[in-house]
Amino acid sequence: MSAPILETRQLSKTFGGVKAIDRIDFSLAPGELRCLIGPNGAGKSTFFKMLTGQHRPDGGQVLLNGQDITAAAAHEIGRLGIGIKNQIPDVFDGLSVAENLTLAARFILPKAAAARKVAEVLARVQLEPMAGRLVGELAHGQRQWVEIAMVVAREPILVLLDEPSAGMSVEETARTAELIREINREATVVAVEHNMQFIRSIASRVTVFHRGRILVEENVDKALSDRRVRDVYLGRSAA
Amino acid sequence: MAILTTVGLMAVPSFYDFAVQYDISKIFVLALLALSMSFLWGYVGILSLGQTAMFGLGGYVYAIVAMNSVDTATAALIGIVCPTLFSAVLGYFLIWGRIGDIYFSVITLAVTLILEKAIRATSGDRFVIGKVRLNGQNGIPGVPSLEIPWEAKATLFIDGVYYLTAAVLILVYVGLRLTLTTGFGQVLVGLRENRRRVELLGYDSRHYCLGAFVLAGAVAGLAGVLFAVWGNFVGPSLFDLDRAAQIVIWVIVGGRMTLAGPILGTALVVTLTTWLGTQGVGQVTLALGAMLTLFVLLFKKGLLPTLSELLSAVARWAASRRAAR
Ligand SMILES: Nc1ncnc2c1ncn2[C@@H]1O[C@H](COP(=O)(O)OP(=O)(O)OP(=O)(O)O)[C@@H](O)[C@H]1O
Ligand SMILES: [Mg+2]
Repeated sequence: MSAPILETRQLSKTFGGVKAIDRIDFSLAPGELRCLIGPNGAGKSTFFKMLTGQHRPDGGQVLLNGQDITAAAAHEIGRLGIGIKNQIPDVFDGLSVAENLTLAARFILPKAAAARKVAEVLARVQLEPMAGRLVGELAHGQRQWVEIAMVVAREPILVLLDEPSAGMSVEETARTAELIREINREATVVAVEHNMQFIRSIASRVTVFHRGRILVEENVDKALSDRRVRDVYLGRSAA
Repeated sequence: MAILTTVGLMAVPSFYDFAVQYDISKIFVLALLALSMSFLWGYVGILSLGQTAMFGLGGYVYAIVAMNSVDTATAALIGIVCPTLFSAVLGYFLIWGRIGDIYFSVITLAVTLILEKAIRATSGDRFVIGKVRLNGQNGIPGVPSLEIPWEAKATLFIDGVYYLTAAVLILVYVGLRLTLTTGFGQVLVGLRENRRRVELLGYDSRHYCLGAFVLAGAVAGLAGVLFAVWGNFVGPSLFDLDRAAQIVIWVIVGGRMTLAGPILGTALVVTLTTWLGTQGVGQVTLALGAMLTLFVLLFKKGLLPTLSELLSAVARWAASRRAAR
């Protein structure tokens, strides 16, 4: 097996007595498309935020291609090529779709090349007709796409997507699944999801979080039919 | 629109007397100061109460250098460079120290206060720079106006100062607008919208904050130089806490998310303050306070954004009427 692109060792985070993340050892192979699931409050978003410098871990380590990034600032991690779509859309609402993407692309590319990149990414997320619209005026699903598109425009090596299909219609969800598979051709991807059908359609391997620990890590069919997973998910998976 | 305003402003001296020109020039200078604050507050999201410090520094440096018989153009340049450098040093420590936004305001305010106290303490013969006595509380009178380069031994008079301040205000406004369209400026706009996203994209926001702080410091310094040229006087009141607070009012009234708003806000509030003063209303500050409260409650975003929203609503309504017919 090739060296992992991302690895965490004994990663931990406590919020006022609550162990949101409890000594997690996690490893991801380059090119993988992994799904991260778990009931509400399992610690999935907290985990992502620690990988991207948005939360400082209390203990443990994060390694990106073997380099220790545990204490790195958010912008340094962004520079090293981890891109994240946060659970709550994190976009520039007062700017147009094109301006949002330009800000992302301009970080790595000169002006003309950035313009080409923006056009290309706009086409991929099918937002060309919206290019001039303010992001704040778009529907929820479209704003999520803008955020994904911003992440992609930065040409990251590792893409973290926190609930990319939340609040989307059935067609939008299908389109998002396709988009994620496309992104995975160029980058390693981890997606947090609740929609079981969606998970089956994109992932081969699933990691299940529960109370800040990894409960199960298996291929998708095994994981989703695992008794323990069903138990912790009861009430959620039925929906 | 901008051209019309420019033409209108340039025509004022032919219709109004020196007293009016004098008052309006002051508004132009103070509007520059407001612009420097709103650029920082509205775009980078940091409320600097230290813009008066840069303003006062600019004025004092200009006065001291010019009165040491250096030519006034050079003095003006040095008067801008000093507060710019000071902003760079102060900004570096504040921004790289990663102190919170509230502390940023508090510390910039403290710096202003310290400068004011320091200047007030400079009365007596010991405090002389070159040929100039600092005079503590009383300030330095007889600050020369700018020399006119193409006329020997002539300096700008009231109408000249009017044209100069108007031109500088317009240039700075246009310059800041253009800055916002550059790559650097777009990141500043991004910071206003969502600082976390800017960071996640890989931009080190500290560089951009510092850049904006230095630019704002330069504009405030420039305003200070012009203020000294305008009044032929500098005193510790340049660093006044009162003014530091008033700029906030001008900016809030006009709308901090725009650049034109604060100019309008300054014009409005300064005119109103002067008018209230002449009406014998004893409690100008009280009236101002009430006005600010009212504004914040009525127009959350400030006057200009509210007005433009209103206009576009009226336009939409008119369009729908036309469509209905
Ligand atoms: N900033 C914070 N301050 C305090 N507690 C927090 C904070 N963020 C998360 N928590 C707590 O940490 C635990 C894990 O939260 P987290 O948001 O990571 O869960 P999640 O798996 O993403 O859940 P969901 O599916 O609802 O998004 C929860 O108990 C939550 O209340
Ligand atoms: Mg979450």
